[in-house]
Amino acid sequence: MMSMVLPTATLTLPGITVQNVRQDAWVSLFLATLAGFFIAWLVVSLSLRFPGKTLFEFAEEILGRVPGKVIGLLYIWWFLHTNAIIMDEFAGFLCTAVMPDTPPIVFFLVGAIVAGYAVRNGLEVLSRYNQLFLPLVLGLLLVVFILAIKDMKAARLLPVFDAGLIPIVKGTAVPTSWLGEIVIFTMIIPFLNKPKEAKKVVMLATFLTGSFLLVSILVALAVFGPNLAGDWIFSAYNAVRVVSIANFLERLESVIVAVWMFGGFAKMGVFYYAAVLGSAQWLGLKDYRPLVAPIGVILVGLALLCRNIVDLIGFIATSWPPYAIIVFEAGIPLLLLVVALARGKGGKAVD
Amino acid sequence: MGSFIKPLQAALMGRGKGKGRGNPPVANRSEDGGLSGAAWKDHVLGPDLEANLKHIKAVLNKCSDVIYREFVFAQNDQIRLALIYTDGLADKGQVGDQITKALVLEVPMSLPGQEITKARALDFIKQRGLCVNEIQQTGKLQDVILAILSGDSVLLVDGHAIAIINGTKGWATRAITDPEAEPTVRGSRESFVETLRTNTALLRRRINNPNLKIEVLKLGEITNTNVAIAYIEGIANDKLMAEVKSRLERIKVDAVLESGYIEELIEDNPWSPFPTVNHTEKPDRLAAMLLEGRVAILVDGTPIALTVPNLFVEYLQASEDYYERFLYTSAIRLIRFLAMIISLTLPGLYIALISFHFELLPTTLLLSFAAQHEAVPFPVFIEVLAMEITFEVLREAGIRLPRPIGQAVSIVGALVIGEATIRAGLVSASTVIAVAMTGIASFTYAYSASIALRLLRFFLMVLSATLGLFGLISGLAIIGIHLCTLRSFGVPYLSPVVPTTGVDLKDVFFRAPWWAMISRPRQIVGKGQKRQDQGLKPAPPETH
Repeated sequence: MMSMVLPTATLTLPGITVQNVRQDAWVSLFLATLAGFFIAWLVVSLSLRFPGKTLFEFAEEILGRVPGKVIGLLYIWWFLHTNAIIMDEFAGFLCTAVMPDTPPIVFFLVGAIVAGYAVRNGLEVLSRYNQLFLPLVLGLLLVVFILAIKDMKAARLLPVFDAGLIPIVKGTAVPTSWLGEIVIFTMIIPFLNKPKEAKKVVMLATFLTGSFLLVSILVALAVFGPNLAGDWIFSAYNAVRVVSIANFLERLESVIVAVWMFGGFAKMGVFYYAAVLGSAQWLGLKDYRPLVAPIGVILVGLALLCRNIVDLIGFIATSWPPYAIIVFEAGIPLLLLVVALARGKGGKAVD
Repeated sequence: MGSFIKPLQAALMGRGKGKGRGNPPVANRSEDGGLSGAAWKDHVLGPDLEANLKHIKAVLNKCSDVIYREFVFAQNDQIRLALIYTDGLADKGQVGDQITKALVLEVPMSLPGQEITKARALDFIKQRGLCVNEIQQTGKLQDVILAILSGDSVLLVDGHAIAIINGTKGWATRAITDPEAEPTVRGSRESFVETLRTNTALLRRRINNPNLKIEVLKLGEITNTNVAIAYIEGIANDKLMAEVKSRLERIKVDAVLESGYIEELIEDNPWSPFPTVNHTEKPDRLAAMLLEGRVAILVDGTPIALTVPNLFVEYLQASEDYYERFLYTSAIRLIRFLAMIISLTLPGLYIALISFHFELLPTTLLLSFAAQHEAVPFPVFIEVLAMEITFEVLREAGIRLPRPIGQAVSIVGALVIGEATIRAGLVSASTVIAVAMTGIASFTYAYSASIALRLLRFFLMVLSATLGLFGLISGLAIIGIHLCTLRSFGVPYLSPVVPTTGVDLKDVFFRAPWWAMISRPRQIVGKGQKRQDQGLKPAPPETH
């Protein structure tokens, strides 16, 4: 059905990475990418042990019916919560940057409708949509970064390791949680055309995402230096603001916003899909489509609950990483893998 | 109450039943107790000439254009013959020379001892009597009637339950002219006409290969229209062929007057604004499509051939792209692509920028826009909408109006609406420029796609007017998702871009030179089929 899924767009949200380790942010990000590879390895090993089964199905098989259901419920919550946060970032960014007078619920609703339309049409359409807009997203951002070169100063990246090792490692947490969202692949790998290539695809996705985030952080740092980049909420967005070519080609940030919206829809779509499919499997439904609309309503409601952008940034910076990484991205998958190995469940991992 | 409903029910049910069997009672009764209703469809001919004629006349009664000619065979007065054909459809000269004259005057003498008896008459006439190039024979009344009504002439021989169908089709046709909807600077100037046979000949002339197959079936319960399926065996995918045939065979309509009837009955997504069946009026383009593994559907009476499967990129490809040199046509492709984006998004973008995001405009441009809009009494959305509707009205009028008054419309359009509205300060000049640019851009790519994008342009305008840039992007995302869901005869609409098949991108955003067109489109033919050998790139002779 699908030859390739590369929803790296799900993770290519530039900009909202909080800079709390000044010019060494890129080192943190590098470490985070390594951590991301570990999570990706966990995900692929699990999925390949249980070919054709999603997280919800093999959790029950590994842990038994009741604990499996509990884990499933937790993941439904996590997918929903993450999606609500994505929506909130989405709306928050648009509100702050371009449309300050529009109430956030408008963005939530439209976002949920667009993503829901894609989800209703299935994983194939979702992945094609990604494929359609991903080159656009990556290409345009690349062009914008190249245009910003003249405002960059490599000296702003110095001195390296100024902050010391501990803050750098602490700073790894946020980007790791972004990259760790690759856990969502447990809902996608079972439907791949060539599951054997899952490992390659997932690793490639992690690599691309990591390097892309790295580049955007480097650009923001090189353009503004650590002081400004850390203060501004959307540093990559602001990096584009300074671009001005021939006094006419300026204000390129609107292009960023436009392109970023395509990516935002894609990311919402993937999490939306995971939540809907997960709920359907949890409830034992054959078809997930009846759940698209109700879950959409829940999503908009959840997103409305947390809509202060400053609070959100605070939450992402402090509580989110342990919550996301320890529990959902690494913790539970690791537990599942260990138990599966101990109980000898599932087929042999395909290399 | 009950007594009122019952007859009504009976009437309704009776009618329903009739439709269900596909034999609606036809008011076609002859007074002399001939065949009535639809019974003639199963009737077979008998040996008696009079009876056969009576049956044919009963079916074709009140058809004043059918001509009956009864005569006797030259060599034997006992053998009576009857010739039936439709005036205007059969070539009268051919009928007169090759049938009537041949049989009445010019029949060769029979060999001695082999008298032409009634029993041998049929074979003799077939083999030595008739001078017609193409004959068939049948024993079924239905075939006889269809042959007469499609321009052939039917010869009945007394004593034989067999009718000879002579291929004498020849009616007034339009000459082969320049393509009107797909004009080209370079390339063949021929376009299809309304006669199916001429069209298949135009196609066959370009592909002189026995693998070009042209199968014919009849569609339309009343019109009995000939519909041909053309494909190249060995290139067209077998599964695709089976799919096309099964979709055509399930068509049960009363009439097929244009290929559009068939298009709507076989397309994958009837509710989509995008067409998923392409069409062309150029035989050379159709030949190229068949060579890429597509299947063509030609309908008698329509100068346009349908092709499936249809990919979205086809709308950006013009037949000339393959005739001009590749560098130039690749650049033109990009222009067309740009124009397509402009024609879809420009009015929406303009509305969003002027009414929501004026801060995104460069300062000088903003000042000039602001100065223009100062005097305009309408919000920019109303302004653009009014101009867009005006443009659509003008375009429609341009197509519909009788030719001699074409000038009047262009004067009204250009002078009154363009010039006067700006002078009067009703519409700003920049709006007129945006709308005109959109309109012109929409003519750069295939017309059928521009119809779809015209509809969607209004959708995007409304979204832009309510939600600004965010609305525009959301609208584009929805259109993108929708395009991803579309398929044409199983082939993803956006392929080869999404899902990506690398090799096939050689003919999307640019056109690779002919020496690099090594394979046929993978999405359509199924596997990577070879088109030609590698290493055809020309080079100057080596000098020593």
